[in-house]
Amino acid sequence: MPGTTRREVLIGAGALAAAAVAAPILAACQPAKTGGSGKVVVMTDPNEFNDDDRKTLEAATKLKIEIVPSNLTTLYAMWAAGNPPDVFRVQAAGVPQYISRKMVKNLQPYFANSKLLKPDDLAPANNFYKWDGKQVGKGDLYGMVKDWSPDFTLFAYTTAFDDAGVKVPSDTTPLTYDELRDLAKKVNKKAAGKRVYWGFVHSNNDAWIDRTAMNMLAEKQQSLYTDDFSKIAISSNPEATKVIRYLYDLAADGVNQTPIDPSPNWMGADFNEGQIAILQYGYWYSAMAESDKTKGKTVFLPAPTWAGVRRDPTMTATGWVVSSQTKDADAAWAVFEQYMGGKPAQDRAKSGWGVPGLKSLYSQMPQESAFQKQVQKVLQGELSKSDFILQFNPYIGEETFATSWKKNLEPALKGQITFEKFVQNIEAEVNTAIADGKRIIGG
Amino acid sequence: MAGATQVLPRTIPRREAWRRRGVRRAVTFYLLISPWLLGFVLLSAIPLVGAFVMSFTNYDGLNLDYLRFVGPDNYARALGDADAQYALGRTLLLMLVVVPVGLVLQLALALMVNQPIRFSNAFRTIFYLPYVIPVVAGVWIWKIFVDPSGGLVNAALGVVLPDFNVRWLVEYPTFVLALLTIWGAAGGGMVVFLAGLQGIPAEYREAAMIDGASRTQVTRFITLPLLTPVIFFNLVTGIIVALQILVQPMLLSPGILGLNPGTVPPRDNYFYVVHAYIEIFTKQLFGYGSALLWLLFAVVLGLTVLLFKTSRRWVFYGVEP
Repeated sequence: MPGTTRREVLIGAGALAAAAVAAPILAACQPAKTGGSGKVVVMTDPNEFNDDDRKTLEAATKLKIEIVPSNLTTLYAMWAAGNPPDVFRVQAAGVPQYISRKMVKNLQPYFANSKLLKPDDLAPANNFYKWDGKQVGKGDLYGMVKDWSPDFTLFAYTTAFDDAGVKVPSDTTPLTYDELRDLAKKVNKKAAGKRVYWGFVHSNNDAWIDRTAMNMLAEKQQSLYTDDFSKIAISSNPEATKVIRYLYDLAADGVNQTPIDPSPNWMGADFNEGQIAILQYGYWYSAMAESDKTKGKTVFLPAPTWAGVRRDPTMTATGWVVSSQTKDADAAWAVFEQYMGGKPAQDRAKSGWGVPGLKSLYSQMPQESAFQKQVQKVLQGELSKSDFILQFNPYIGEETFATSWKKNLEPALKGQITFEKFVQNIEAEVNTAIADGKRIIGG
Repeated sequence: MAGATQVLPRTIPRREAWRRRGVRRAVTFYLLISPWLLGFVLLSAIPLVGAFVMSFTNYDGLNLDYLRFVGPDNYARALGDADAQYALGRTLLLMLVVVPVGLVLQLALALMVNQPIRFSNAFRTIFYLPYVIPVVAGVWIWKIFVDPSGGLVNAALGVVLPDFNVRWLVEYPTFVLALLTIWGAAGGGMVVFLAGLQGIPAEYREAAMIDGASRTQVTRFITLPLLTPVIFFNLVTGIIVALQILVQPMLLSPGILGLNPGTVPPRDNYFYVVHAYIEIFTKQLFGYGSALLWLLFAVVLGLTVLLFKTSRRWVFYGVEP
């Protein structure tokens, strides 16, 4: 000790502190998992991946699976930290962007060699996971749906129709969107300023409003975007303006949940509570549409049509992709393959929480109760209309349009801005986001 | 004792003893502050530097392959961003309401529970409780409270006004948010004021009262001047917290989307950090969002410096600060 000076002690303490600081930083720079570690991190919805699924997959793959609850903020934060999950849950609208930004692995070689997931057996919804750099639905496969639904189908709560003295629509003859709007106004009901029934609720509280618009426009071979996705085109396209006007009018009619007439719940819960007369939701919702209140009073209806050319694709195509940054792609694929084609996939098919991602599992969908039989009858008609793709913009995130819509809808419905200004604002904001995306990834 | 006086001078000269004592003190000091220092470096300093560097890039948070230096472009864009200006205006307005009203309430509560009354500890606990309730739980309590269909507020008012039905979160979202914020912060501020009040020697008040001062005069001329350092502290921290508000307006949005990309609060509750959050997590503009937040830091810093400058005129420390 006699040779130790204060300066040396301070230097030593500084070095110690620096080492203590550097160690976790360096550790943080390394992914939590390394190649061959035997662990696969999966970001998914715990409601879609229970503990039995985990045990089944761990037994089948001899790998340890760590689940991270699915959340876009968490996903982006994990990517920003350089430590993304090996496998993560996505929706179709985000897929082109993820592929364009090289975030997901091309799984075509794996599919080509898979014994569980054969290309001929893949349901059409899986085409949402194909991207050739210009179009969704073309090129190699980058992921797969866990299950899917024709998402533009309707659920009718018959009590609301009885209250209004209106006949419940036929489950064989599809409505037009104009008929649907008229019907919605008739069954929409408030009493003493309080909501009794919303007439027609759709687009998941507007989170999917662009997807609804895109599907309607596709009936006329039109799109929200220019062919090269470089601009959004509403005001310059009369057909697009008509669709946006229609959706805006539904909000202005007060038949839908809006920023000025919101619900504290999500729309599925409101239907269960008997507060929605017509709900636009996919087949998957039939697994929970009948609550104590709505049991025996719920009818499944075919998707409406905008221009007489019916289309009923999925608009979510919820599924999994493998991260391009995974350190063990084979392990990630093993978990992916078993989840999509193994016992968990069969269990999901039998549960009725969506149309299976494999055509060979279609027959396992439940058809025991009277409601399930009625649902299956309508569903079989819709499956023939579901082989369509929505062309999502690769330059923007899946929430970009909806965020702009919701932000501007409130002042528009309050009369603070005109419909034209509403459209202009959306176009300006989305075009700025597209330009940002183009600047980042080129093109 | 005799042995010690014989050994020390031989082996450790006085100067060396002082040096060792100094070293021990230094080591002790650094050991004691190291938990905070490490936390600060890891959780504040490094992210701050990272965010500052990021603010000069086009970083999208997703892929480093496309990372590019863009110079001051993000700052120039932020200065012309109409939404950012609107959001900053709303934020400053909220701050101007919440901070003074909050301070008055906190001080009033502290003065009340500082009285020698029965159950004062119970009152202190009750008033402090909202401060320790997690923000998410607090917001949900308020959402239930003001729900238009089954909420307590409408139900209570409906007793006297049968047709009363106000959609509080739609028609008065900032009013509800302001109440929520004031309610949530009241307990914390009250405790700080209480500590300040109990640090004022009783003799000062007694001397004033002997000289004929009324209770109001004692509060006005003795208590408040001696509390000004505490008022100053609560004022500065209150301003900083109000300017950074994010979670409450997002969670208070109708529906159950929560703090997720895609959540858009009512326009009245579109605050500055909400805008930055949307730019970062909805549009993946991490670089631009960082620039927005650094500009907010500049505003906070400017206001704080301004307050420190004015504090010389109205904050009484008793000794030089």
